Amino acid sequence: MAGLELHGVRKAFKGVQVLDGVDLTVAPREFIAFLGPSGSGKSTLLRIIAGLETADDGEVILEGRRIDTLPPGDRGVAMVFQHYALYPHMSVRENMAFGLKNARVPKPEIDGLIEDAARVLEINELLDRKPGQLSGGQRQRVAIGRAIVKKPKLFLLDEPLSNLDAALRLRTRVELAQLRQRVDAGVIMVTHDQAEAMTLADRIVVFNDRRIQQVAPPMEIYSRPANTFVARFVGSPAMTIIPGKLQNGSGHAAVRLGDGALIETAISRDGLPPGERIEIGLRPESVRVTRDGDVATTTAKVVLVERLGERSLVYAQLKDGTEITAEDSGLSTARSGDEIGLKIDGAAAHLFGADGTGYHRQDA
Amino acid sequence: MAASIQRGRLPWWGWIGLVVGAAIMAAPLVWTLLLSLKNNAELVGNSGAALSGPYTLENYVAILGNDRTLRWLLNSVIVSLGTTVGVLVLCSLAGYGFARLDFPFRRTLFTLVLLGLAIPSQAVILPQHQLFATLGLHNSYPGLILPGLITSFGVFFMTTYMRAIPKELDEAAMLDGASRFTIFWKVILPLTVPAQSTLAVFTFLGSWNDYWWPLISATRSDMYTLTVGLASSQMNYAQTSGLGFLMAQAVFASIPIFVVYVIFQKQIVRAMAGTAVR
Ligand SMILES: Nc1ncnc2c1ncn2[C@@H]1O[C@H](COP(=O)(O)OP(=O)(O)OP(=O)(O)O)[C@@H](O)[C@H]1O
Ligand SMILES: [Mg+2]
Repeated sequence: MAGLELHGVRKAFKGVQVLDGVDLTVAPREFIAFLGPSGSGKSTLLRIIAGLETADDGEVILEGRRIDTLPPGDRGVAMVFQHYALYPHMSVRENMAFGLKNARVPKPEIDGLIEDAARVLEINELLDRKPGQLSGGQRQRVAIGRAIVKKPKLFLLDEPLSNLDAALRLRTRVELAQLRQRVDAGVIMVTHDQAEAMTLADRIVVFNDRRIQQVAPPMEIYSRPANTFVARFVGSPAMTIIPGKLQNGSGHAAVRLGDGALIETAISRDGLPPGERIEIGLRPESVRVTRDGDVATTTAKVVLVERLGERSLVYAQLKDGTEITAEDSGLSTARSGDEIGLKIDGAAAHLFGADGTGYHRQDA
Repeated sequence: MAASIQRGRLPWWGWIGLVVGAAIMAAPLVWTLLLSLKNNAELVGNSGAALSGPYTLENYVAILGNDRTLRWLLNSVIVSLGTTVGVLVLCSLAGYGFARLDFPFRRTLFTLVLLGLAIPSQAVILPQHQLFATLGLHNSYPGLILPGLITSFGVFFMTTYMRAIPKELDEAAMLDGASRFTIFWKVILPLTVPAQSTLAVFTFLGSWNDYWWPLISATRSDMYTLTVGLASSQMNYAQTSGLGFLMAQAVFASIPIFVVYVIFQKQIVRAMAGTAVR
């Protein structure tokens, strides 16, 4: 049985469509990350699942039971809010007990659940403090604790780490990963942070333009982006996507760029759309600045060099003006204005049809 | 200006300013207190006698011995407490409604409430008097309390305060399975305690010190509040001879207010300084 199922979920705010026919099936105990640009409806969908927002259309089903008709408290989901939303006037213990009391769980049982959660989250010492007396990281734990004690079937986390500083965020990310082994429930986490999504999630759901663009495991999102949006959105710096002409022939597709360079891809010619207009996608790591002895695929003029320590990113322009991002070693000698040679690894290239659909090598 | 804003120790002239200010504020109170402690006869013709002894508590004994004063005190307590409790209940409910519920004509209604801020109570006193006369409510506690429950300021105050409470708290409580009433009672209301105490203090003081409406509504002396009662005893041509007694009454009347201030001092200061809800 599936954990969570969404069927044809639609939502408009004051006539503006925010979600348009969202379908998604999540396995029980699966960790899902919602990734997408600001305003793409991630929080809205999360809130529809939680019952804080009503969908205009569609169904939400959790473990076989339709829940979109139930009030939030009866859905078997728990949510961790971006700003934690701890009750300021209640102690940590009371915060965690509130939901259980409303569910009329007997007092001894409540105490037991809180003790357990507090031990796991290492917040035993804090149980009698008020939220105002806690640090950001501690509040975060309490917010998670408040969700855990309810033993929900599904955790909903809306950018849970975005309020923490970089170091704490990394630590909490690790802890979330460990925690997730302990709880017997699915998790849906909204995030802006690709790295967070990549490390934590079993599958990533990429949102844009009112729709789900792709649902896939992290590496697949990266290596087989469904369309140009996902290709550009995931990966930093973004994939370069440049127009080219598909060459006649059979076997693997070959593409000629605007500046005349020919790139032999490892993508089968067969599945590609008809016509010669196509776009080619190149990640920076498959475009290398040539060194002595390398054979250059093409040449370009350096616009900007970004030195990241162990490697450098070279933003350059091909002869026909097309912008391309290349990678070089950390000791790169390239400077803006330089003419450089680029060696393009065609086998790592992606192709995109006129409608944006992505085509990839079979084994990638 | 810049110097006086500096943190740390006050300069010497700052201290002097404060002392002078405090003395000016305290002088009439001390004077009242001293007069109240004097024998009435001694004050006739020369109120300066209050500056030296002998002092006596006989005026206070006289007040406590007068059951009409005690009755007025009781009336004032009932009316002020009744008004305060009523205002808190009504303004909390109205504030929650305006801040959190979506109902038809909410904005229009709220605008009317705001307009109410601009209408002085004096402007409606005649129709109000007639209304209460028709309803037969004069010379009764409801008659004295009901007009005090109408407060645009209170509704406005509670609405703004509740609006400032993050909605995420309501949502967290909804996910915690709380009913709307539980959310109001256990989450929102406790967070408005600073606002409640401010409103309570202002309402209590306003009601305690109110003179005009009880003067109009309470025509029987057993329904007088303390303000009206004390004023009525000034009309007895005894002002020259009863100065000490009069002052004792004034001191007596302000004791409850003093008590309220002492009890709620912390909340008043905190509410004035503005409390962040988080
Ligand atoms: N209550 C609301 N009333 C009107 N419009 C809303 C409401 N909530 C969200 N929207 C709109 O719906 C769209 C999607 O919002 P949503 O909060 O779901 O985006 P998001 O993907 O979570 O963005 P972010 O990453 O910035 O949090 C936005 O354009 C937003 O302005
Ligand atoms: Mg959001």
